[in-house]
Amino acid sequence: MTAPEGHSIADYLKGYTDLGRLRGFACGCGFRTATWVLACPRCGSRDLTDVDLSGRGTIVACSVQHVPSDEFLNEAPYAYVVVELAEGGRITGWVAGVADPADLPLGAAVHFHPGYKPGVQFVQD
Amino acid sequence: MRETWIVGAATNRFGRMAESAREAAARVALAAIDRAGLAPQDIDHTFVSNAFGMAEHQGHLGPLLNTALGIPEVPSCTIESACSSSSAGLHEAFVHVAGGFADAVLVVGAEKLSHLDTVTATGYFATGADFPFEARNGATFPGLYATLASAYRRVFPLPDETLAAVAIKNHANAALNPHAHFQKEISLETYLNSPIVASPFRLYDCCPFSDGASAVVVAAKEFLRRPPTTPLVVAASVRTGSIVDMHDRTDLLGLPASRRAGELAFRAAGLTPKEIDFLEVHDCFTLAELLALEDLGFYPRGAAGAATREGETARKGRLPVNPSGGLKAKGHPVSATGVAQVVEVFEQMNGTAGARAVPRSETALTHNVGATGGSCSVHIFRRG
Repeated sequence: MTAPEGHSIADYLKGYTDLGRLRGFACGCGFRTATWVLACPRCGSRDLTDVDLSGRGTIVACSVQHVPSDEFLNEAPYAYVVVELAEGGRITGWVAGVADPADLPLGAAVHFHPGYKPGVQFVQD
Repeated sequence: MRETWIVGAATNRFGRMAESAREAAARVALAAIDRAGLAPQDIDHTFVSNAFGMAEHQGHLGPLLNTALGIPEVPSCTIESACSSSSAGLHEAFVHVAGGFADAVLVVGAEKLSHLDTVTATGYFATGADFPFEARNGATFPGLYATLASAYRRVFPLPDETLAAVAIKNHANAALNPHAHFQKEISLETYLNSPIVASPFRLYDCCPFSDGASAVVVAAKEFLRRPPTTPLVVAASVRTGSIVDMHDRTDLLGLPASRRAGELAFRAAGLTPKEIDFLEVHDCFTLAELLALEDLGFYPRGAAGAATREGETARKGRLPVNPSGGLKAKGHPVSATGVAQVVEVFEQMNGTAGARAVPRSETALTHNVGATGGSCSVHIFRRG
């Protein structure tokens, strides 16, 4: 049994940097992620579907970064966020211009905002 | 399985090393071998860890180390498991010795990052996470643990004073440890006045970038019947893994790899948390110590913070945690950390821990996490 053809990490990066789409994988067990895999990390199934993720969801974890790594040097402070997608599954990204965590509470609704900046950028709805 | 002992241990002072990781690794290795009453020629195999060796433009450290020790023909390899690299090396040594494939194995961890600026070092640390799916989206290493703090805070109380209690305790312990990076106590005021690095973590919630090197010698009981020091009996040596990406895990209130490692280790040792005299746990951030105590079963979920504030985990408390000062204050030279925890157990069980001696040291547990819990090591030791 071989793994099905799925998108590569390069496809994922090109997807959100050039095409404004977030590619991911969906499994029959309900697991959904942007993370590149050949089999479902929850149930082990290789029956994964290539999907476009909506990029809409709510913040489930968040931290304001004041000491970034080099790619984000010009962005600090910003919020690193874990987003629960509307269709299920979670992905990570960042929200620009957040200095006080109170400005982006858990549960806040956000959407993917394609642009020229690094990483998967979200903005508050 | 053969009974397996830790028979020698050594570390240098963590902080800023003038010499390279290669030189420091060789020095602590020789000191550990000497302390075991062995000669380098007794070593059958070397496991060395130097996760960020590329920061010094040096890979393939094993044969360089063995050559420096006068045993170039001894096999070696580099073991990388982010912050749990050298405890992973220790597990490999245990497997070799317990399984009868080697009589004496050298385990060394060394790291040097102090010649890098903070941004570059922060970038190196982030490589332990998922680079395209976490770090590239703005995650730093403190940021990843800080997101766990935000999730934890949603369910359990986690005031700044609770995080501060971990930092203050571990600094107090490190102040008594001549090997520690920070040999100074801190006050609540110092903690609260330190800048935010990754909310809610302040500077004093975070372990430092440290240089350092540590080594242990692992040997079969039947190979070395009368060691010159009190050996540590390895009662359990467990490694576990989990999904690296936090966002793909079902639960953000702890580290699944720690939970599983704790369960497996206690089962292997035939012990319960109540029977452990003291711990060295992976406190790369203050919250990480609380999560470890809960994941390993020492406290119910949500209860480690209050116990810490009440002094239960202080050096003279009911359950001393990180008498060395932990990663937080002893320092965190990534690849040296796992073995350094065992060096602390060795000093405590040999009565050579000086002013930071814990009240009881018949049993001990060490817990070492790779990055944000993609890998984990738990070892349980009994005084031999």
